[in-house]
Amino acid sequence: MANIAIQRIKREFKEVIKSDEAQKCAINVELVGDDYRELKGEIAGPPDTPYEGATFHLEIKVPETYPFNPPKVKFLTKIWHPNISSVTGAICLDILKDQWAAAMTLRTVLLSLQALLAAAEPDDPQDAVVARQFKENHSLFLETAQYWSHVHAGASRGNSEFANKVKCLMDMGVGEHQALVALSSCNWDMERAIEQLFS
Amino acid sequence: MSDEEMDFSDDDYDAYYGGEFDGDVDHVDPLKNDPEYMDVAFLIDTEVERLLNESVEELSNSIQVTPSLAKMLLHMSNWNLPEVVARYRQDSHKLLTSVHIKPPQPPPQNVFQDGEVTFCPVCLAPMSPDNASHLTCGHTFCKDCWSMHFEVQIMQGMSVGIECMGNNCQVSAPEDFVLGLLNRPQLKEKYQQYAFADYVRSHPQLRFCPGPNCNIVVQAKECQAKRVICVNCKTQFCYKCGSDYHAPTDCETIRKWLTKCADDSETANYISAHTKDCPKCHICIEKNGGCNHMQCYNCKNDFCWMCLGCWKAHGSEYYECSRYKENPNIAHESAHAQAREALKKYLHYYERWENHSKSLKLEEETLAKIRERIQEKVMAGTGTWIDWQYLLDAAALLAKCRYTLQNTYPFAYYLEAGPRKDLFEYQQAQLEAEIENLSWKIERAEMTDRGELENQMDIVEKRRSTLLSDFLQV
Repeated sequence: MANIAIQRIKREFKEVIKSDEAQKCAINVELVGDDYRELKGEIAGPPDTPYEGATFHLEIKVPETYPFNPPKVKFLTKIWHPNISSVTGAICLDILKDQWAAAMTLRTVLLSLQALLAAAEPDDPQDAVVARQFKENHSLFLETAQYWSHVHAGASRGNSEFANKVKCLMDMGVGEHQALVALSSCNWDMERAIEQLFS
Repeated sequence: MSDEEMDFSDDDYDAYYGGEFDGDVDHVDPLKNDPEYMDVAFLIDTEVERLLNESVEELSNSIQVTPSLAKMLLHMSNWNLPEVVARYRQDSHKLLTSVHIKPPQPPPQNVFQDGEVTFCPVCLAPMSPDNASHLTCGHTFCKDCWSMHFEVQIMQGMSVGIECMGNNCQVSAPEDFVLGLLNRPQLKEKYQQYAFADYVRSHPQLRFCPGPNCNIVVQAKECQAKRVICVNCKTQFCYKCGSDYHAPTDCETIRKWLTKCADDSETANYISAHTKDCPKCHICIEKNGGCNHMQCYNCKNDFCWMCLGCWKAHGSEYYECSRYKENPNIAHESAHAQAREALKKYLHYYERWENHSKSLKLEEETLAKIRERIQEKVMAGTGTWIDWQYLLDAAALLAKCRYTLQNTYPFAYYLEAGPRKDLFEYQQAQLEAEIENLSWKIERAEMTDRGELENQMDIVEKRRSTLLSDFLQV
């Protein structure tokens, strides 16, 4: 890997670990392997959002041309958010694409992602199904995102109604995550979810 | 001719044709009467550069900025020179901010303080004022990082509008700044190439020829959906949308039609097979020429390839097989029947569109056959090569007319039923009938048929230009 890239990543790694945000456990970063090509990021769900109390893990790949090209980042933890694919974890965020600037750092990326969780951009969606629910049935979106945070990312507050519906589908032989996806994308309408799963 | 007749002076000529008689006759350039005519110039890269540089120089002189900045200003303002000058005089700061030459806020203090070591924020190495650089925004980085940044951006196809490396900074780097910091000559060249392409694309009067590997730039004062034939590669395209020429259909409709065809072609292909049976003797016939007037080699029955009807009924008055007859009671039918009717309607137009496209290809082969035939005839002493030239002209005209005819089908498909559509389909039918007539005559022409053929050519071209002048909207 190019010299600049390694220098930068080493510095930024320290910057994140020593930052105020890391002290408050809001962001964190770990090495994967020992060559600084791949890192694992962590962000806490921001307060007063359906992601509060949850921790999200990120895959960060550092390209050869870093910092002149942005790092490749995606969510490893499943999340229900208009700008993040509920299937692949791919992120739609301008600074990870054309708005990247070489002076940005890992810390700014992690903080921007956290800000994205607090302020979604439903008009520029990565996941069209989630974005539609966000716009058309916002209260249901909040509950769904909250439930995903509980199931996948360790947030404490659950939802017994949703849990029962998922269990009901699981009793029919559907996998847990598959049931969650079907119900979430059908606005928790049992009949439509069943139709989607079995047609 | 007698001497008397020959002997009229220039005065007579002027008295008859000149001055006061002008009002009676339309002395307009015939090319401008042509509904497809468009005034264009074909430029090579050095000519384009000269054209662009003229504007750049004019702007840089009138508002006293560097040519590099003037170029950026023009590029960001669609090369509208008077507007740039006016906006600059009105509020230069607002203009320069809006085109990302200046930052919205004034730049921060100099990053270099006496006695302190300054680090490049990108590579984190120490830097001195000598090996550092910044744009108007004051974000300072070492020259190596700038160079690397430009290299990465250029490799991704960027040129004009490469931005500063600062956080959320949208200030763009002007040409001289980039070229001054790039080290490798190949990269400089690449940057200039890309920038040139960007300038042409942002210029409302310029278009690249869409032909493969063609570097010609077409210049026109007005952007019209008209035909341009590149002088260099002979590619025929619509000036407005840059795709294949499509009169009388407009740019948006043809795009809709082509998308539809791409989606529905499976069904259409399935239904329209490449062969048909003779309606009389039912022998299987493969179409091997462009003409839709078929003669069965088996039973000598003359019929129309499109409707399989008797060709005799296709006199110019009764040629109706280009017209789609809509079922008048369709509104009362079930949804299923409506869907079937919609498909039937689409297939009607699609089959004809496809058929003429095939005919065009087959007529290319016919052209090769005509050349062979001319060769044979000339060798056998039947006329000279010059005597047979008219056949090649006829074939060229046939291709041109059939091309227009093909493009009338998407137009008709999207045209709402009514008197305008009736008129269009009438003219279309007329054109189609004459084209088939011409095609038939060309395939069988002898030297003695020249007069008749030329007459037919005239008729076809008149039909075509009438249809275009009535329906071509640009």
